[in-house]
Amino acid sequence: MVAPAQVLLLAFILGPALYVVWISLQSWTYGRPPRFVGIANYAAILGDVAFWRAFWNTFVVTNAVVYGELLLGLGLALLMAGPVPGKRIVISILLAPYAITEVSAVVMWRFMLEPDVGMVNYALLSLGLGQIDWSADPVDALFVVSLLSIWHHVPFTFLILYAAVTTIPNELVEAATIDGASSWQNFWYVKLRLILPALLIAMMFRYIVAMRVFGEVWLLTEGGPARLTEVLAVYLYRQAFKYHEFGAASATGVAMLVISLLIALPYLHQMHRRMFGHAAV
Amino acid sequence: MPPSRPAARIGRLALVALAMLWSGFPILLVVLSSLKPGREIFATPPSLFFTPTLEHYVRLWQVWPDFFLNMRNSLIVTIGASLLCVACSTLAGYVYARFHDRWLTVSAFGMIVMRMLPPIIVTLPLFPVVNALRINDTHILLIALYAAFFVSLSTWIMKAFIEKIPRELEEAARVDGATLPQILGRIILPLAANGILAAAVFVVVFAWNEYVFALIFTTRAAKTTPLVISEILSTVEGVDWGILFAAATVQLAPILIFVIAVQRYLITGLAAGSLKG
Repeated sequence: MVAPAQVLLLAFILGPALYVVWISLQSWTYGRPPRFVGIANYAAILGDVAFWRAFWNTFVVTNAVVYGELLLGLGLALLMAGPVPGKRIVISILLAPYAITEVSAVVMWRFMLEPDVGMVNYALLSLGLGQIDWSADPVDALFVVSLLSIWHHVPFTFLILYAAVTTIPNELVEAATIDGASSWQNFWYVKLRLILPALLIAMMFRYIVAMRVFGEVWLLTEGGPARLTEVLAVYLYRQAFKYHEFGAASATGVAMLVISLLIALPYLHQMHRRMFGHAAV
Repeated sequence: MPPSRPAARIGRLALVALAMLWSGFPILLVVLSSLKPGREIFATPPSLFFTPTLEHYVRLWQVWPDFFLNMRNSLIVTIGASLLCVACSTLAGYVYARFHDRWLTVSAFGMIVMRMLPPIIVTLPLFPVVNALRINDTHILLIALYAAFFVSLSTWIMKAFIEKIPRELEEAARVDGATLPQILGRIILPLAANGILAAAVFVVVFAWNEYVFALIFTTRAAKTTPLVISEILSTVEGVDWGILFAAATVQLAPILIFVIAVQRYLITGLAAGSLKG
């Protein structure tokens, strides 16, 4: 009875994931027969300036998104755990971005940030602050990508942290207050310690998902101008589906896979210990 | 809790209002702008009062006649993927909740590991295979892919819900001669209905909104709505914002209503799927 689920996973995830490793050792222009080249693809991407730019862009965007989201998500969770009128409706609105496709998220933010005429840029310009020029300035473009990723994914982080915050026993906070703890001390020494496991899990999942960022960049800049805003997934996509270099694209894929597993390692290790429990680990 | 001072109360309410503005404003803006006459879309400051018009929806119908076919594709793929995913996860979740041995634990752990892999990498080996089998641009391919990427989370959710059903119910039924399919159909399914909804929410939202697989594996026949919206966004003659907003509104309205309606399953599902082992 586990077979249908396992067949899906083997056919569409594990099988292909292992096969990617094999393809990454081939020189394979799509449409021609592959040829075994060993680690040449890895040498090629590691020597490619565009790969490293994509790597560092992914690194910066992912960190900005994860920490921005954790701060915002934690703030929202603490805020919503207190007395709030119409809480159910407020939570519905806070969760709304989760229901939006990344394509429409790009539509919304691009509209507000359209050069010269978008309302945010118009407001910035009329205040004499210049504007967010995402179509020409790579730094501005990556800033917009991070901003819209945070907007899009903060409901997930908020939900996990909110679930954790609402399970904090009230007696603990009250006891600390009676003992003279300020609200900051209550937060730092009581609440934060109790929600730390949830915080770490949210952080791990968000790191793994955030580093896959594709649609936001592809739809906003296509990695341009001059490939300056590419991230790893866009680099992979361009190699495979624009240049038809499946070998090099697979080497990029393996790099993404290894990074994901490394990030997940502490979580996987803990799950492994818990699941195999008394059995020899 | 000590009664909070009025200043703190007002500050709190202001923060809540700010948070709602941050989350809701971009969505509201798109929906409202889809009803504005074309020349008012970029009016500064944005006009709050305007005569609503359906002109952009009519033009969407005229200029992108396939849009509603693409909506149908999205609907087929979403329903197919959630049925497939939930069916597989219920069976697997039942097994993981009720039986324990070393191999089951190994396969369950494997499921968690696979949740960590970036989806885009499977497109590389699948693309040639899919073309050779001539199943590119089909509903069934997207259904299988979407189900596969959510089967792990869904199984975990189902396992958590089924573990809460008392074993005695099943044992009593077994004594009365019930077969396994009967036990699953008459006891587990009705009692785990909340779990099924919780598991379905995630795959429904994912399948309805997914972009990367749709971009790589569909060209015409099975093209889904997010992909068309991206095409409207990147038309070479410059963006026709009115049509774009109309399309985005049509795409987001049903799923937004769905998410709001089932939000409490979202919370329980997330807790069961990621926080518990």
